[in-house]
Amino acid sequence: MIVPAARGSGRPGRTYPGLVRREWDWLLSHPVEADLLLAAVLLVATVGQSRADPLILAVSTLLVATIPLRRRYPVQAFTTALLIAALQVGLGMQPRGDYAVAALQPTVAEFVVAVLLYTLAAHTPRRTSIRGLCGCLILSAIAIARWPGSNGLHPEPAILGASALLASACLTAWVLGDSVAYRYRVAYYAALEERAARLEAERDAQARIATAAERARQLQERRALAVDESAARLRRIERDLHDGAQVRLAALALSLGEIKEDLEADNDGDGGRARMLIGAAHASAKEALAELRDLARGIHPAVLDRGLDAALSSLTESSAVPVELTVSISKRPSPAIETIAYFCAAELLANVAKHSSAAKASIVVSDDEGELVLTVGDDGVGGARPGDGGGLAGLRERVQTVDGKLRIDSPPGGPTKITIVLPGHA
Amino acid sequence: MSGSPMRVVIAEDAAIMRDGLTQTLSRRGHQVVAAVPDAEALLAAVGEHRPDVAIVDVRMPPTHTDEGLRAAKAIRRDYPGVGVLVFSQYIEARSAADLFAGAPSGVGYLLKDRVADVSDFIEALTRVARGGTVLDPEVVGQLLGASRRTDALATLTPREREVLALIAEGRSNTAIAETLFISAGVVEKHVASIFAKLGLAPSDTDNRRVIAAIMYLES
Repeated sequence: MIVPAARGSGRPGRTYPGLVRREWDWLLSHPVEADLLLAAVLLVATVGQSRADPLILAVSTLLVATIPLRRRYPVQAFTTALLIAALQVGLGMQPRGDYAVAALQPTVAEFVVAVLLYTLAAHTPRRTSIRGLCGCLILSAIAIARWPGSNGLHPEPAILGASALLASACLTAWVLGDSVAYRYRVAYYAALEERAARLEAERDAQARIATAAERARQLQERRALAVDESAARLRRIERDLHDGAQVRLAALALSLGEIKEDLEADNDGDGGRARMLIGAAHASAKEALAELRDLARGIHPAVLDRGLDAALSSLTESSAVPVELTVSISKRPSPAIETIAYFCAAELLANVAKHSSAAKASIVVSDDEGELVLTVGDDGVGGARPGDGGGLAGLRERVQTVDGKLRIDSPPGGPTKITIVLPGHA
Repeated sequence: MSGSPMRVVIAEDAAIMRDGLTQTLSRRGHQVVAAVPDAEALLAAVGEHRPDVAIVDVRMPPTHTDEGLRAAKAIRRDYPGVGVLVFSQYIEARSAADLFAGAPSGVGYLLKDRVADVSDFIEALTRVARGGTVLDPEVVGQLLGASRRTDALATLTPREREVLALIAEGRSNTAIAETLFISAGVVEKHVASIFAKLGLAPSDTDNRRVIAAIMYLES
């Protein structure tokens, strides 16, 4: 029995002889054409059986016409076919009917009912398809009962055979359809499960992303705290030095200076050795003061406490290359950012003096949507690259500790423009 | 060397330094009329005692940034007769420019280290008390640190040197024009040429004038 193509459920793994497989695959992928083909085959068979009797043909055509509708309206198509079949069995099966009655004779087209039962079983809940199966079996029973052969024209084995044939045709159609439905259901549940698993995986991934984002945010916060704290600590160290060691050392130097001058004024005694020792101690104290001052300045330039503008002014006024400074910021960045900007500017100006042979330089500081933009330019020879000993790589690293950016625009022959973008706070 | 005794006010937040200075000055016959720890007390003491000179630390409470510098400028403005010697752990060219703005007289700016050379320090203090100017070699070093600028003064024409000398006296362009019997336009040209030769970028006209004056004074 040929099972009509049902929703292209053909399994790709199945093997057929080359040519048949191609046709079969085509039918599977073209269900409407397959249905029309089946309808046409049944009609041709009916024509052959009824010798092209127009009335019989009309009724059979009506019956066959339900086939193309079966996929979209399985219940309606099946009900219609079953009704037509019932009319044929009820009215057409008479020993000597007149012409109109003869037109309702069952034909080969009754096969449509089996096809539609299959469709019903495949596409509707079992509850519905079992009712359909019952309808078919009852109709088969009536047909057998009304068959002319039942009145003794045929032997009993023929009747039994016909009954078995009809019943098994109905059952086979239903079982085939139901198994397809079962496959659909299995596939459907599998798809559901797969989808659930996918959703689960997606939720997991999203949860992981959220966790990572949260972690990144926490780390960012902690880094900001660490950067601010380290800037504040350096400032405290500088202030402690200023208020403590530096001032004590200065007072000590003052005392030594006094003693030295007293000893020098007092020429009469033989204090030559003491004078020498005091002179050395005095000189050491002054050297220590200078070293301590450089150290403290390296830790935190005190002038930064008066703001970036003041600090950069101080820097540019002592630059070897004349610098034009423009500072236009509406809001002071955090101290840590100011410190980074200051040391960057200092390093870049030192680079200008050392490497660029520039006649003049410029520093522009502005803020752009909460970011601090520091641009140091010069009219020198250009060709500045990170990693050429100019300290640009180190600067970049320093800037990146707060997610800042450093851009180098320095073609050979100049001019050089280095832009540093820093966040308003770490 | 020590000359006539001076009346001195000291503003310094570190007691050890305050006491050290007081002793040193007293031993040399000068009179420390007040030794105070912050800028507010400094202004009050100067108003009360009208000293010959005030020694002012830059960093004092409450913010420890530039209280002393601001107080020094206030004293220069309000008590022109009082000399001000600003001294500090650091020397900033910028602060020097600020301090010397206007007619630089009776003003000094020294590193704290300089107290170690006691006599030199007292001498500098005396100079400031008498209306002179004292600028730490460090500032000059910063300003002239540029080798390019060292010989800059030498490149000035005699006329430009004359103009610069008058700038250093705190004269305006108009006053300079009258003194030299030339037009204000010509003075402006000279000034522009001086700035260019000294390598002073046109970022801040006032500062350029002051820095040029300082460079002249120290040359």
